[in-house]
Amino acid sequence: MNNHLVSSRTFLTISTYLTGYNEVELLGTGMLETYFNVFLEKFSPKTLHYFFAEVDEILLESAGDEDKINAAIAARLIPDSAYDGIAKNIILVWYTGNWGSDVISTQSYQQGLMWDAAEAHPPGAKQPGYGSWANLPIRIPTK
Amino acid sequence: MEKKIKEEFDVVIVGSGIAGSVLAKTLTNAGKNVLLLEAGLQAGMAFDPEAAYQNYQYYLETFYKASAKVPNSPYPNIKDAQSIDVLDIEPITQCNSPSTKGYLVQAGPLPFGSDCLRGPGGTTLHWLGSTPRMLPNDFKMKTLYGQGVDWPISYDDLMPYYEMAENEIGVSGDVRDQVGPDMGIQNYGKDYVFPMKEIPQSYLDQVCIEKTQNLTVKLHGKEYTITCISTPQGRNSIPNPAYKFAGTYWNKKAQKLELAKNDEEYEPVGAIWDPNTGHRCEGNASCVPICPVQAKYNALKTLRKSDPKRLKIITQAVASKIYTDETTNAITGIEYKKYKYENSTVYDTAIARGKIYVLAASAIENAKILLTSGIANSSDQVGRNLMDHLVMLTWGLLPEKAYPYRGPGSTTNIPTFRDGEFRKEHAAWISPIDNWGWSWPVFSPGSDVSSAVSSGMFGKKLREHLNDVLPRQLLLHFECEQTPDPNNRVTIDPQYKDQLDNYRPVIHYDASEYMKKSFEAAKKVSDQIFAANGVEDYTAYSVANDPDYVTYKGQGYNFWGAGHIVGTHRMGTAKENSVVDKNQRTWDHDNLYLVGCGNMPTLGTSNPTLTMTALSFKAAEAILKQLEN
Ligand SMILES: Cc1cc2nc3c(=O)[nH]c(=O)nc-3n(C[C@H](O)[C@H](O)[C@H](O)COP(=O)(O)OP(=O)(O)OC[C@H]3O[C@@H](n4cnc5c(N)ncnc54)[C@H](O)[C@@H]3O)c2cc1C
Ligand code: SF4
Repeated sequence: MNNHLVSSRTFLTISTYLTGYNEVELLGTGMLETYFNVFLEKFSPKTLHYFFAEVDEILLESAGDEDKINAAIAARLIPDSAYDGIAKNIILVWYTGNWGSDVISTQSYQQGLMWDAAEAHPPGAKQPGYGSWANLPIRIPTK
Repeated sequence: MEKKIKEEFDVVIVGSGIAGSVLAKTLTNAGKNVLLLEAGLQAGMAFDPEAAYQNYQYYLETFYKASAKVPNSPYPNIKDAQSIDVLDIEPITQCNSPSTKGYLVQAGPLPFGSDCLRGPGGTTLHWLGSTPRMLPNDFKMKTLYGQGVDWPISYDDLMPYYEMAENEIGVSGDVRDQVGPDMGIQNYGKDYVFPMKEIPQSYLDQVCIEKTQNLTVKLHGKEYTITCISTPQGRNSIPNPAYKFAGTYWNKKAQKLELAKNDEEYEPVGAIWDPNTGHRCEGNASCVPICPVQAKYNALKTLRKSDPKRLKIITQAVASKIYTDETTNAITGIEYKKYKYENSTVYDTAIARGKIYVLAASAIENAKILLTSGIANSSDQVGRNLMDHLVMLTWGLLPEKAYPYRGPGSTTNIPTFRDGEFRKEHAAWISPIDNWGWSWPVFSPGSDVSSAVSSGMFGKKLREHLNDVLPRQLLLHFECEQTPDPNNRVTIDPQYKDQLDNYRPVIHYDASEYMKKSFEAAKKVSDQIFAANGVEDYTAYSVANDPDYVTYKGQGYNFWGAGHIVGTHRMGTAKENSVVDKNQRTWDHDNLYLVGCGNMPTLGTSNPTLTMTALSFKAAEAILKQLEN
């Protein structure tokens, strides 16, 4: 249980580096727990354990230096051979709301980050209102 | 086994799509008793607010959860009355002929690329809602261009019915903007306006218009000036105070349908569960396959305005066969199979009886029912001349962000190649500018995410990359007018039946030289538009991308279905050359009418539903006259 809490925290932190979205943005989707549980279900406890241990190590040794973290992620998490591809799957889940071609939930579809990256909204949800499409999208600066 | 319903009805209608609903509404409000048979599930026919809302939310959630968000994805696809589905389209090869994956049996050589929806309300639940009119010249293709056939009626004959159709659908648009080849203010009545003002053209349209409006392009040695105009469409916007019509009614004395005058402002028609929801398009950008607020027109809005005291609806009732009197040739009843519940193999067979019968089950199904029954076919035209718009798509990246994935599917079109002498040589087309990025041809934005991630991109770089690329995506359509070909057809074969022992339609389909030549021409025009806009072309055609792949002069092209299923029981000048007359009545049976796009002798370049709805009003008028005389 305690272990889970710790890993869910690590899951959030590494998700920020993997997706390019900050913690507030990721938490704002309301999907953290759902997605974390997807990974608990889809990967073996052993692989997950090694993955999170590696993440902890990367975060520790890079001491907040973003370039170092990114270099370590590229070398040690992104290759398909690393931890059954957990890292790439984390990115795909946050951006698309899908596991493979399956939509995880009605919420995950609506919270896919790719719609935000496109400065749009998921079709059929979060509608921006009459005539909005005739103007530039409204952006709330986040950086 | 066989049970009979006691009541006798004035009219029995098969199908609750826009064609069937226009008939049901018009006839019941004129005092006629109507029985409507609908193949889809009862739940979809709910009109009390609570049940209608629940059912529609269920559709919406199904859409959210669908992995492939294709037109039919929100709606139940039941085995008792299967829908044609684009997910079932696959290449037809030597070892896969015919392709039998879906409801259609596709004999090829090319697969038919469009779908429709079998369920209450029919295909307008997932249509886009573009409603341009046909052009006067479209009615004279044989005379003017030596292609296809002429219609037995002219544009002028259809004018009053176009106005009824625009009223029924609730069209938003600007009449003065409808300018182009064979287009212009003269195609509309004096001072005519649409019920609502035009849907604002998208930011993306405005970016494209800047460098495309009045652009000169060259094609086959001729110069053309490209124009961009706003597209009339069936979704709610701001009522036009100059619009003065209420609804269509039967003027018994004059024996004709008329539009009633109205002094009040036009009121947009809202959602079926709440008349105050959906008065404006809210920009959900999901019109195909489902408008969450029903700001977009669907046929249930029409059906709901029927006189409930005169309308009996039987759902889960699949019309299977039509009976005739051997001596008089009159229709005596329509056999239908009423299944107990979703996907059930248990059903009762019954016969519906009335004075007049109307098939409104959409083009392919209408033809199939007629072929099954062996009727209405003395011309041998039933099932033939199946047509669609063959949609060639081109896509690329704009030099600046134009922010697609917002607003209705398309708000602007290029009418420049809708008419001209070139129609003697190759197909005409309309070019909608698309608002939804590359989602149609390559499943963006999901595919952009996965290809960037598999290339190793992550973090801020990934976010920036997607933010750079997705807002610059441009997609153009070239909706090429397919001409009638007797060999593009629907047939039946006892080998292929569904679980209620009804025939599945067998489709034979191909693209002629006339069509392929238009792909070549359209690509040349696209290249020039892209060049003028500084668009980097990413268009790539292959059979892996889309099974409808053809080559012309050594170049490969893909086309996609437009959902415009047309021509399977053509209207014509005589019994020998057509299935129905200009009132949509079958030549062979005095009390059988067919409605829907199957009646259209040629397709034109406009999306067909407005024209078909106009024809449905014409049919309703003829039926009322027949009943009263
Ligand atoms: C993706 C897509 C987008 C489109 N966009 C546009 C557009 O922008 N503009 C445009 O003009 N057109 C468009 N169309 C076409 C338009 O949707 C159709 O032309 C129109 O809806 C056809 O109406 P209909 O009433 O003839 O048939 P349908 O709407 O298909 O209705 C047929 C009805 O009959 C019922 N039925 C079928 N078989 C039986 C049976 N055996 N027994 C009893 N009932 C039966 C069905 O359940 C259904 O209710 C689009 C189509 C698609 C697929
Ligand atoms: S853009 Fe949205 S609100 Fe408007 S019609 Fe389409 S789905 Fe409905």
